[in-house]
Amino acid sequence: MSTRDLLPVATPARTRSAVRELLRPHRRLALGAFAVMVAATAIGLATQPLLGRIVDLVAERGTQDGGAAALTWPVTLLALVALAQGAATTLGLALTATLGETVLSRLRERFVDRALRLPLEQVERAGSGDLTARVTADVSQVADAVRSALPELARSVLTIVLTLGALALLDWRFLLAALVAVPVQAHTARWYIRRAVPLYAAQRVAAGAQQQQLLDTIGGAATVRAFRLEDEHAGRVSRLSLAAVELTMRGVRLVLRFYSRLHVAEYAGLAAVLVAGFFLVRSGSASIGTATAAALYFHGLFGPVNTALVLLDDAQSAGASLARIVGVALPETDTATGTETGTAPDTTPVSGAGPAVLVSGLGFAYEPGRPVLHDVDLALRPGERVALVGTSGAGKTTLATLVAGVHRPSTGSVRLAASPGWERADRADRVVALVTQEVHVFAGPLAEDLRLARPGATDDELREALARVDALAWAEALPAGLRTVVGEGGHRLTPAQEQQVALARLVLADPPVAVLDEATAEAGSTGARTLESAAGRAVEGRTALVVAHRLTQAESADRVVVMDAGRIVESGGHDELKAAGGPYASLWEAWSRTHASAPPDPPVSSPVSPPSI
Amino acid sequence: MGGAAPSGRHVLRQAIRGQRRDVAAGAALGAGHQAGEALVPVLIGVLIDQAVAGGDAGALAGWLAVLAVVYAGLSFSFRFGARAGERAAEQAAHDLRVRLVARVLDPRGGAENGRLPGALASIATEDAKRVGAVAMAVMSGVSALTGLAVGAVVLLLISVPLGLVVLAGTPVLLWAGHLLGKPLERRSEAEQERAAHSSGVAADLVAGLRVLKGIGAEAAAVTRYRITSGESLAATLRAARAEAVQSGLVLALTGLFIAAVALVGGRLAVQGDVSLGQLVSAVGLASFLLGPLEVLSWVNAELAQGRASAARVAAVLAAPPDVASGAGRLPAPVRGAMRLRGVVHGPLRAIDLDVAPGEVLGVAATDPADADALLRCLDRRADPDGGVVELDGVSLHDLDPAEVRTAVLVAGHDADLFAGTVRGNVTSADDSADDSADDSAEDRAEDRADRAMAAAGVAGALPLGGETPVSEGGRSLSGGQRQRVALARALAAGRAVLVVHDPTTAVDAVTEARIAAGIREMRRGRTTILVTTSPALLAVADRVALLDGGRIADTATHADLLRRHAAYRAAVLA
Repeated sequence: MSTRDLLPVATPARTRSAVRELLRPHRRLALGAFAVMVAATAIGLATQPLLGRIVDLVAERGTQDGGAAALTWPVTLLALVALAQGAATTLGLALTATLGETVLSRLRERFVDRALRLPLEQVERAGSGDLTARVTADVSQVADAVRSALPELARSVLTIVLTLGALALLDWRFLLAALVAVPVQAHTARWYIRRAVPLYAAQRVAAGAQQQQLLDTIGGAATVRAFRLEDEHAGRVSRLSLAAVELTMRGVRLVLRFYSRLHVAEYAGLAAVLVAGFFLVRSGSASIGTATAAALYFHGLFGPVNTALVLLDDAQSAGASLARIVGVALPETDTATGTETGTAPDTTPVSGAGPAVLVSGLGFAYEPGRPVLHDVDLALRPGERVALVGTSGAGKTTLATLVAGVHRPSTGSVRLAASPGWERADRADRVVALVTQEVHVFAGPLAEDLRLARPGATDDELREALARVDALAWAEALPAGLRTVVGEGGHRLTPAQEQQVALARLVLADPPVAVLDEATAEAGSTGARTLESAAGRAVEGRTALVVAHRLTQAESADRVVVMDAGRIVESGGHDELKAAGGPYASLWEAWSRTHASAPPDPPVSSPVSPPSI
Repeated sequence: MGGAAPSGRHVLRQAIRGQRRDVAAGAALGAGHQAGEALVPVLIGVLIDQAVAGGDAGALAGWLAVLAVVYAGLSFSFRFGARAGERAAEQAAHDLRVRLVARVLDPRGGAENGRLPGALASIATEDAKRVGAVAMAVMSGVSALTGLAVGAVVLLLISVPLGLVVLAGTPVLLWAGHLLGKPLERRSEAEQERAAHSSGVAADLVAGLRVLKGIGAEAAAVTRYRITSGESLAATLRAARAEAVQSGLVLALTGLFIAAVALVGGRLAVQGDVSLGQLVSAVGLASFLLGPLEVLSWVNAELAQGRASAARVAAVLAAPPDVASGAGRLPAPVRGAMRLRGVVHGPLRAIDLDVAPGEVLGVAATDPADADALLRCLDRRADPDGGVVELDGVSLHDLDPAEVRTAVLVAGHDADLFAGTVRGNVTSADDSADDSADDSAEDRAEDRADRAMAAAGVAGALPLGGETPVSEGGRSLSGGQRQRVALARALAAGRAVLVVHDPTTAVDAVTEARIAAGIREMRRGRTTILVTTSPALLAVADRVALLDGGRIADTATHADLLRRHAAYRAAVLA
């Protein structure tokens, strides 16, 4: 946990090529959208020359008769331009949105597909927050860009480019005059981006820290009050909030200085265009109407230029998010298979009548040089239920995750045999299932959650599975039965119910080998008993490795395996080990001293002295 | 706090009044900026008329200088006006955030009732920000009105009929755009909600990654996501198309409006009623005025959002406290004698219980709800409906809840850890070091932390011991580690009365027995109540009270209760 290997982030080149890759199937749509947007912008630019024409007509005719009639056609054209521009823009925006949204949803699908197939080991090394942040914050950042920033930016850039072209058509000297503003704008934009990028990164960090502190403090308010930490926490929130405010204000001051400089550019350009108009009209190279059109063109550029320069910023942060999404969704070395090669345990069928699970010479270290498992050998017969017992930190959970294929062994191997009857082709690679105390109920109807384990299961099959883990009664009593929406934003299940749902999924997934880890730990003693028997029924008929926290789980197992300090120190039946006087016997003694059903011996003197181990 | 419960309107007004200097300065400067922006198209017209059409170089230089002055003015007022407005918005949001957190953390409680932590955090960030943004909106509204007024005056000076066309036309135009867009907008909102669904599903699947992998459901999940994503895409596209139609409509209407102004203005110019330059100014102003009008409709939307947010903020600030404050004082030093007489609260029916100073009392409840109700009364998170809870002979009802908690600590089994280190968490509640500034007090606190961590079995559970970093909510630790660190914190706090609730549910039997002895050792001579059904803990208690059916059914040693009560055996032994 000391070093974080974040999930891959795509290089800028890779991001670009990934975008091209995503666009390729929609090339015609992309070309069409671009052409229509260009046409819409170009049509709109006919407005200013038409207004100039009206000015010219007024200037030429003065107050002569018929002057008013001559205005009819330029005004009619203006109206037609407006209608045509409106129609073309509608079409252009619709095409752009179709393109953007389609590509975005494909990218999101690819992301989910890849993310769910990432080796769990890699996700854990990166911290699950990394993946979650990418699927929430980064995806919405990119979606916002696709929805608003990019079309706006495209429209602005098109308007700028085409307006400059239109100025050149009026007279190339108008273009030269307008370009007076460009060096100032270009310099300003560079100046701004250089300062804005690190500042906004710092802002995001500060906002994130403030948000985390708020969640920490508010989520733990009961604890804060109980321990009288109110002042300390109010101080923490206030400090972080002020820091975020200070950074925001620095950003505001920067943006405002940026606008000040743009005002200078605006003035310089406008003055230059008016001066050019003055000389061109005086020399007779341009009409007053043309000079008017040029001035109006330039005045019309203020908005798009400001928009484009401001959106450059959004585009940049969207780019950073995109790189983080592409890094997962379309990695450089795209292993087309998409399976976690190397992580899955070796499932070469061990000979027909051999063990279902064969662990040999297994060693494992989360960090190099600090092994937590040493040279573990273990064989599970088909249908055998083995309980793993030991004090906290003995390596039980690690061994369980290795057998379940979550982690890759550092040394040795885990081999699983496909048991006879396990011939469902759709999940042939899934021989072993793992249920941990980490429960998650998927948002949506309860039935849909369960069907994740067996797509296409009938309602009767679901009921059967729930009944097997003692959950049918409460499930049918939910407001809408199995169709009740549960999980985030839905009906809240109790921790014990969530655990039962996890066990029902195991029944539906129906694997030949099941690994259960601490599945009953957090339910309190009454709940624990219910869960224990539910777990027992869920693994019936399977080869099962159960990490036992309560020794009753060991008592009912076919065999008990005792671990200590990363090694197996004892293995055998419950009664046999209890009689052997080894480590299991002393664990059992500690357990039964407090859990003995009735005091058979002289009453335990209180306080009890702790067992010394 | 105090005073009448604040309403949303009150919160909003207060937020703006608190920043009135910045808001006033921002509005004045913003008005200057908008006036300047309105003058730019007017000056373009004047320049065309006076300088370009007449070929007058002196006029050109003169009017360019005027334009420069206008630019300098508008640029200056924009920069400092917007700065003042943003500062007001940020400061107002910060002040609200601090007040909200203070309300949530108030010892009297009550702010969280019916609200999830995420929702409260969102009120303290998003809603506070929205309320603050109203300061900026008010300022922008004043500026936009100024821009409109300047434009209107100039237009009416140019020509009354032309001015009236423009002034009547712009609101009609915006209104028409709004009206035409409204049904589209409504539809689009519904579609967007459906579209957002697919992001939610994606996040949910990723959050359940381990579960999916555990049962090999990755492929099923991906298939399901593709279906959701397809439905979302269709909804998004419908929304996007509706928006495209709206944008096109607004654009076409604006163009038609400019054409109408050109027609009327052109006719007036041909008749000689307005000059050439005035025609240019009028056309320029017609398109300029759309800006401030759009700002006004934005201001309206911001105000509506601000009002809704202010109502949510006010609801939290005005949330009724769970218990009233009190003025009584505890005798010093607190001996730690707890006495409950006829306590009725929730499922509790007339609880009588005495805890002697320095005693270790176990409480085993057959129903967890009974235990929760009892715990709430012990540190005055709730006042009993009947009966009395006393500490050293003082009724808790007469004491402020903050005063109660200087002496009584109820450490819940779901107690949260906070970001920092394990040691930081453990020492955080030990306020004995604060009282005296000398180093030896600090040393004693460190020593107490070490002993507490040893007693709770923290040391062995964590590779880096006390220096192990803790992430928000303690999520970087496993359930068992969290529980032990929380217990160590409760032990290190050193309160006169410590009540611990189910502190070892995620701990193995051997460690649990060791922890039980550790608690006893660490709390020697001080009152300790263990609310639990764990036999290892109950066995170290001097006496155990059996809480069954809302009453204390019996009080005896663990061993005696085991012998005497089937209900006790059922609750305690698995």
